[in-house]
This record gives sequence, C-alpha cells and structure tokens, in this order.
Amino acid sequence: MEILRFLLGVLLPYAAVAVFLAGISYRIYTWKKLASPAMTLFPSPPTEAANRRNAVAEALLFRSLFRGDRVLWVMAWSFHAVLALILVGHLRVLANVDAVLLRLGMTEPEIQAMSGGTGGAAGIVIAVTALLLLLRRAAVPRVREISGLADYSILLPIAAILTTGNPMRFGAEHFDLGLTRAYFAALAGFSGAGRLAALDNGLFLIHMSLAFALIALMPFSKLLHLGGIFFTHQLVRKH
Amino acid sequence: MATATLDQSEKHINGAQARSAVRQGIEAIRKGPRALRMYMETCAHCGTCASVCPAYYARPEKHYNPVERSDLIRRVYKKHCTPSGRLLGRLAGAESLDGADLERWAQMFYECTGCRRCAMYCPFGIDNSVVTRKGRALMDKIGLTPAAMQKVVRISLETGNTDGASDAAFRAAIEFLLEEMRDEHGVEIPIPVDVVGAEYFYVPPSGDVLVNPEATMGVAKVFYVLGMSDKWTMSSQCFDGANYGLFTGNDEDMKRDNKRYVDEAKRLGAKVLLMGECGHAHRIMKMMMEKQRWWGELPFQIANCLQWTAGLIRSGALRFDPSRNLQPVTFHDPCNFARSCGISEEPRAILRTACADFREMHPNREENWCCGGGGLSALDDIREFRMSVSGKKKLGQIRETGAEYVATACSNCKRQLTQLMEHHRETVAVGGVHDMLSRAILVNGKAAERRDYT
Repeated sequence: MEILRFLLGVLLPYAAVAVFLAGISYRIYTWKKLASPAMTLFPSPPTEAANRRNAVAEALLFRSLFRGDRVLWVMAWSFHAVLALILVGHLRVLANVDAVLLRLGMTEPEIQAMSGGTGGAAGIVIAVTALLLLLRRAAVPRVREISGLADYSILLPIAAILTTGNPMRFGAEHFDLGLTRAYFAALAGFSGAGRLAALDNGLFLIHMSLAFALIALMPFSKLLHLGGIFFTHQLVRKH
Repeated sequence: MATATLDQSEKHINGAQARSAVRQGIEAIRKGPRALRMYMETCAHCGTCASVCPAYYARPEKHYNPVERSDLIRRVYKKHCTPSGRLLGRLAGAESLDGADLERWAQMFYECTGCRRCAMYCPFGIDNSVVTRKGRALMDKIGLTPAAMQKVVRISLETGNTDGASDAAFRAAIEFLLEEMRDEHGVEIPIPVDVVGAEYFYVPPSGDVLVNPEATMGVAKVFYVLGMSDKWTMSSQCFDGANYGLFTGNDEDMKRDNKRYVDEAKRLGAKVLLMGECGHAHRIMKMMMEKQRWWGELPFQIANCLQWTAGLIRSGALRFDPSRNLQPVTFHDPCNFARSCGISEEPRAILRTACADFREMHPNREENWCCGGGGLSALDDIREFRMSVSGKKKLGQIRETGAEYVATACSNCKRQLTQLMEHHRETVAVGGVHDMLSRAILVNGKAAERRDYT
C-alpha cells in the first residue's frame, strides 16, 4: 500500500507533468520547424491579425463546425467548454483560490454556492455530453464506420475520471478541501506528499491518478487535437 | 512524363518493392510539409467532412468517407512515425501497410474530386484534398495513376496542351472564331497570335478554344470594344492552362508543365498573364507558382479574365443588351475559383449584367457543392461514379434553380456538367461566363446577330 501511495500519489504526478510538457513542446517544436510552403489554400481574412483572430475564434467557438454540423456542435462545444470550466474549477482544489475570490468581494457562502452549483452542474453536463458523443459515435453510420479502437479506448479513462470525480462531490466520500490543498502544496514543494492524509481517500487517489495519466497521454493520443486546433486553421487560410 | 520509379518488368502492384516505396513516401511526411503532418496528428474522427462531401452525400459508403480515405495514409503514418503507434498499434489508430491493397488505394484516391468542401467545415480546417493529393503522388510513384490521367499528363508535357492539338489545329480553330465573329458583328474582331511585345497574354484552357470557344470570342470582343486589339495575344504553343500534375500529385510534372507557360510569357514580353476560365490553372499560377517563386521574380503580373472583365463592367467601360440572354441562367462556382482563389463576385458581376434572369443556386460561393468532376472529369472509366454519385447533389441544386443555362468558369466543371445533364436527360445548357458576355456585349452599339447557339 505504501508503495502504491508513492507510485500514484507522488511519482505519477511529477512524471505525468514532465511527460506532458516534454511531449507537447516536442510536438509544437516539430510542427513549427517544418516547412509550410507559401501556398494559398483558402484566401485568408484580409489581414494577418484578422487571420489570427479567426484561428482563435475557431479554437474557442468551433465556428467551422457550427456551420457544418449544428447537432455535433452543441454536443462537442458543450463538452469542451464544460471541460475547460471544470479545469478552472479544479484550481480551487489545488490552491487557496478562495482568498483571491474573497478579496474580489465574494462572500464565503457565495463561493460555496458557486463551487457547489456550477461545479456540480458541470459534473453532470460533462457526463451527459460525453455519453451523447459516445452514442453518436456508435449510432451515426458515417461516424461509426470510421471509429476504431483508439476512438473508443480514449473514452475509458475519461469515463473513469468522471465516475470517480462526481461521487466526491455528490456522494458519501466527499473530498476534503483542506487535505487536498495540503497535499498539492506538498507536491509543489517536493516535501513528503506521500504521507499526507488526502491519499487515504481511495476515490481521490484513483481519480487523481487517472487524471494525471490522461494528461501524460495527451501528446501521444488523439487528444492531441487540443494542440493542433490552434495551428491548423492558419495553415489553410493564407494570403 | 511521370517518372515511374519502377521498371515495367519489376512492377508488382502489391509487391514488396511497391509497398516499400509507398511506406517511404508516408514516412517522409514526418519532414513536412507542416499542414500534411498536422493533418496526420490532429483528426478527431468526428465525421463532419462526410456530411458535406458530395460523393458521400449521394452514396454513404465507407470507402467514400473522407476520413476513411485519409486514414489509409494516417494509419500507416502512425504505425511508423509515432511512438504510440509503434507501441500500441490499433489502440493508437495505427496499422501496418502489409495488409493494404494498393490497387484499392489507387481507386479510393481517385474517388475524391479534391473540391475541398470538407475543409470549410472541419473543426480543425483539415483539408482532405491535401491528403488525397499525397495519396495520388504515392500511387503515381508505383505506376498506379489511372492510364487516362497519365496519358493527359504525357500529352500535355509533349505538346503543351492537354488535347494534343497541333499548331495547325489551333490556328484553324482561331480562324473559325474570327469567321463567327465576322458573321455576328459584321466587323473584323482580331484574335492576335504569337505577338511579341503584346501587353496581355491570354491563356485559356484548351477547351475554350477547341470545345466551347465562345468564351474566347467574349474575351476578344472585350479587347476590341476597348480599342485594345493590338495589345493582347494568344500563343500557338501555349493555349492551354490546364495542368494535370495537380491532379496526379506529381509536383515535377506540374512544374514542368507550368514552366513552359511562364517561359512563353517571358518570351512574349507580356506585362499581364491573363488566365482564362480555368480554376486550377489560375490557382497554380497565382496561388502556387507566384507565391512560392518557382521561377523567381516574374516580369509580369497574373490576373484572371473574370477579374479583368468584372472590373471593366464596374467602371462602365462595357455595354450590354441583356435581352440577348433571356433564359434563366445560374452560376456554378468552380471550387478552385471560389474556395481556393476567392474569385466569386466577379463572375456574378458579369452574368448579372449580361443576362436578364440570373439566379443563384444554394448554397453558393465558397460553400458551393462540387460539380462532381474536378480533376476526375477526364476519366471516362469512372463516368458512372461521376454521374450517379459525385454529381448527384449538383444535379439537384441545378434543378432547383429552374435555370436553362448553367454558366461556370472551368473546363472540368463544364465537361462534368454537360455529361451530367445528358445522363439525367435534362435540357439545361452548360457553358462559360464569357459565353454569355459574348452574346450580349455591344460591339459598335450592337449585340451579336445570331440565330441559335448549340
């Protein structure tokens, strides 16, 4: 058990962050290094700045998809937007964000309400949209016929993270904010995180390990589309 | 001539040598270009492209799915070029080339018209036509370019035009056009040929000289009306902008074919290379050759006759009698002009002025559906595919307009649409934009005297 706590609770987070940073930097470095011939594919917006704005709008709003497939847009955009919201929400678990929010004028009950309300809703919405996307993949012929093991298997860690995350908010094994903050502070300070009580919560240990595993996987799986989307639109629309 | 890297005697289409050549070609994607490599690593398999693809729209079979086609290459790329693919195989979407049927590959890469409509709607802007073209380049290397396509490339490189028409045939065609215009207007409207020092060098697709020559008459009339008949020329050696190297994926062929035209423009001392109604020819000249400086600094500008004529109309330099074109007319946006070159308002400006009843088809401009032909229009052995699959959506679009004449600005579109109308027993005529202009433009205050256009 001790060894498991050390492997998952200490080694994995460091390794995952290192692998993610190395992997994504390598990807972006190789993309940037490759020649991109001065060849106009689509005419771009009138200025380079407008073209960059267009690329950012595409990454944030999925504009092309909105024009192409409205139903998928609703599912995909909700899923990704809520995912981003959840990542932001997790900052509160990692560090004492409350202090900042209090200084910004929020009250303690308001912070609790926001965290519980928005966070709780997000947990449900992301589970529902993930399920819808899976159903779409399995049910719509044009998507089903191009879906392989890689498309389904990546959903397993995501599903596991959702099913271990939601009970920590809604269920009996509710996580302890103070303990997790102490744990992440210890991780950040390289000081005995493995001994801390946060890791006694089995659900938390599994949830967190899977999340870090997914982070490490990102540059090496189809999740890499998160990195690609910031560049590909500008490759196609040029002057 | 395309350089088949394998001798005829050694060529085994699914043999080890061919396989290794294809594998090397796919591994080279690691070294770029950037777009192609990113397309290998970014697709999320969402299927949006399939829903906007003309072939898949008409017949939703897996082998028409743009993702499936691109995945042929993507899977092998992942197997050999990514750590996860090497390690995890199918779990990472990777598959070895060993089981692949390359003849089937060649078929599939020629079931994409390269219209690039998918790239308009892909959430990542992935342009599957770039992958298709890469696939065709791989097939070209192992001698699997369709024979009809290869023949056009060879003829074009040998004779300077895709029809293999001789100098004499060209001159006879021009002679015929001069006579026609004499009949129409009762005056000599010149089509200068091989004039060194002319300001404008007009390069149409050969179809606009030999098959649907009204467009070239239209251009000649515009110069005449402006009093500029001595300021332009055609070339008896270079009268066909078509370049099938774009379609076979063979860059060497594409550049060789292109160089002849650039050299001729230099020899003639032209200030403006005026490209005709041919989308891919214009695109190669303007968006590829000039941008990438294939032949360095150019002593001439590149413009399209659609832009040029539309500009003249806007400035009021040309007058028309639209009652000469009373039938309902619609415009089919060639993919290369509307999606790739941003030329979509110009042809409309011409048609709205020259025709009494211009109607849009929907959707249009850069969202327009492909005619279903593109670079495949020359392939008669897949005519059934072009008529019943890739062209089906276009047929419906045209029917909805109620138009009796479809104008378009591309010889490939014209060939495909003409066959499409015949095949489906429609009486809709197909022709060029400058054809409509030619019938309605006022020359010395009068439009053409003509009885019928068949």
